[in-house]
Amino acid sequence: MAFTSSTRLVNPRLGTYFGIFTAAFAALVLMALMLEQLGVPDSVLRLLMFAAPLILFAAVGLNARAHEAHDFFASGRRVPAFFNGLVLGVSALGGAGFLGLTGALFIAGFDALCLSIGWCAGLVFMAVLFAPYMRKFGAYTFPAFLGRRFDSRAVRVVAAVVACAPLLLLLTAETRFAAYAASWLLGQPEHVMTVILMVLVTVVLAAGGMRALTWASVAKAITALLALAIPATIFALMLSNLPLPQMTHGNTLRVLSRLELMRNVPIVVAPPLSLDLAGVGLEPLAKRFIQSFGSVGSFGFVLASLVLAAGIAASPALLPRSGTTPGVYEARKSLGWAVLVVGIVLLTLPAVAVYLRFLLFEQVIGQTPEQLPAWFQLLQQAGIAQIGSAAQPVSFGRLGFERDAVLFSLPIAAGYPQVLVYLALIGGLAAALAALSATLFALAALLAEDVLRGDPELASDRGRLARARIALAGVAIFAIWLATVVTADPLQLFLWAATLSASACFPVLVLAIWWRRIRTWGAIAGMLTGLGVAIGTIVLAESSALALPSALAAAIGLPCAVLATIASSLIAPAVGRNVLEQLREMRVPGGETVYDRELRLLRLKNRTPS
Amino acid sequence: MIERNERKAYWRHTKVQMLTSLLPFLLAMIILPLYADALNDKRVLGVPLGYFLACHGLMVIGFITVAVFINRQDAIDHWHGAHEDF
Repeated sequence: MAFTSSTRLVNPRLGTYFGIFTAAFAALVLMALMLEQLGVPDSVLRLLMFAAPLILFAAVGLNARAHEAHDFFASGRRVPAFFNGLVLGVSALGGAGFLGLTGALFIAGFDALCLSIGWCAGLVFMAVLFAPYMRKFGAYTFPAFLGRRFDSRAVRVVAAVVACAPLLLLLTAETRFAAYAASWLLGQPEHVMTVILMVLVTVVLAAGGMRALTWASVAKAITALLALAIPATIFALMLSNLPLPQMTHGNTLRVLSRLELMRNVPIVVAPPLSLDLAGVGLEPLAKRFIQSFGSVGSFGFVLASLVLAAGIAASPALLPRSGTTPGVYEARKSLGWAVLVVGIVLLTLPAVAVYLRFLLFEQVIGQTPEQLPAWFQLLQQAGIAQIGSAAQPVSFGRLGFERDAVLFSLPIAAGYPQVLVYLALIGGLAAALAALSATLFALAALLAEDVLRGDPELASDRGRLARARIALAGVAIFAIWLATVVTADPLQLFLWAATLSASACFPVLVLAIWWRRIRTWGAIAGMLTGLGVAIGTIVLAESSALALPSALAAAIGLPCAVLATIASSLIAPAVGRNVLEQLREMRVPGGETVYDRELRLLRLKNRTPS
Repeated sequence: MIERNERKAYWRHTKVQMLTSLLPFLLAMIILPLYADALNDKRVLGVPLGYFLACHGLMVIGFITVAVFINRQDAIDHWHGAHEDF
């Protein structure tokens, strides 16, 4: 039983293990490249590039099984800062970051940077505002943290119900992204891929809970980063002799700006409060890449980055991740690594977008349909790109491009071997799977621990794990159904999830940690107001009764929630002395993890003399 | 382990650190993109300056913010004896 400080239990061989994993993955890609040159049929290559990484992920996950609640819900609290940050960064981005954001940058150019800024800022906020205190408290789920913090079952249930909304939206979005990438990779319909991926993820999570989630996600994160870096780096090397796409895409951008000027791409000005990031389907390229506020207004830009930042910082899917580190200091450090990882990814994605746009302007726009390069005809046949009418030269305005396909269109456009296209796809898939499994596990843990009746802390480890596994299966089935029924744009679903967690979870979480005078009723009122106002605003905005983009609902919801929390806290009855004492203890890094000590004392109390 | 009467000073120190970490970053992330178009006339490393600051600059500022926060907060913990003792 590792209930005392488990810092010293960090596995010193982790670096070796994941070095072996990285080598195995690199060997797989090289082998596939050789097989392609040897003339192995395309379907075999696709299957190899799809199945082999997934088998590796599953093997890593199944090797990390869990039999104790401590392992199942908090990964034994022995994940070093670097690995924790890696997983946190990649699962914060997920498919929405890798597939959606690349496409949004490609189509909307500078304006999509509001999302990049939001992602980066969200992790900065999480590092400073939440992570150290969540770690010191050590609760397994977000509602359990709030419930224990206020010593109130009501807060716990309300927080669980409130957190369900963003988690379900996020789960649907990431499942759709994962199924999208997998169906391009394997050429099978999306609903088939949804079922296969979900079954795989659920089996691994049921076996090892958070422990399997952590280690499988490290493998997924390495895959996603490699798969993003390799095509972009090769392209940067071909173009500028310097293998740093993050730094060298500036020169390409300059050439691109000149090409856009020559092709008479218009300068458009959006109304200040608009947020028109590319949707699904074939989207026209909106504006010049570098010009700002052409499809997202200036006010919308700032609000979108703030809302996304708050949504990421208080995301109920990501917060349990801070509980897995050995200590408070490591929890802070892991957020530092996460910001670094996310920063590098967010500098590479614009490079991919700029390169593809450059190729498009150099080789496609202005050409007659007979002169079109082979790669563009391939994209057209695949339904990724489209030019309006056939007879005239291709002009900027009539060109449509599929947003989520941009990431793996660059290897096609640059004329790389097919295997590198599949590599880009498996990267997007791995990132989406990391986010999907984090969300799935957070939702299942929340249902089993916080919503179902009874005090989970009193149950035996066996009972607790069994409950969580049943919840996991239930949530997985529900998620498959949701992903097949909901046909909305997954990036939009992601933004809604962020806006809901920004308005329902963020204010209460900030005040619960940083404001001593918050009361139980204040927390409940704040969460319910935030969720209610945000959902109301989304509905009004979608029915165009309100001139606000629905993704920015938190701009109204968050201030309302703060007001509701403060107002109800001022009139509510005072909280008990033990609650304040617990708060004081939570704020100080030293000493035993609050939740673990409570568990230990409970067990001592309930132990029957034998 | 922290002394009981040290807690208040520790928390005041921590609050000030939180604000000094977050406010400059918040200011930068709100203001920088608004002036991007005006800054794009100038170039750094061949990249238009406004784009460079909004894309590369903010990521670097974010990372520096967190790094400095970790360092300072750790110093505060040790100053007040609030650090973890392993």
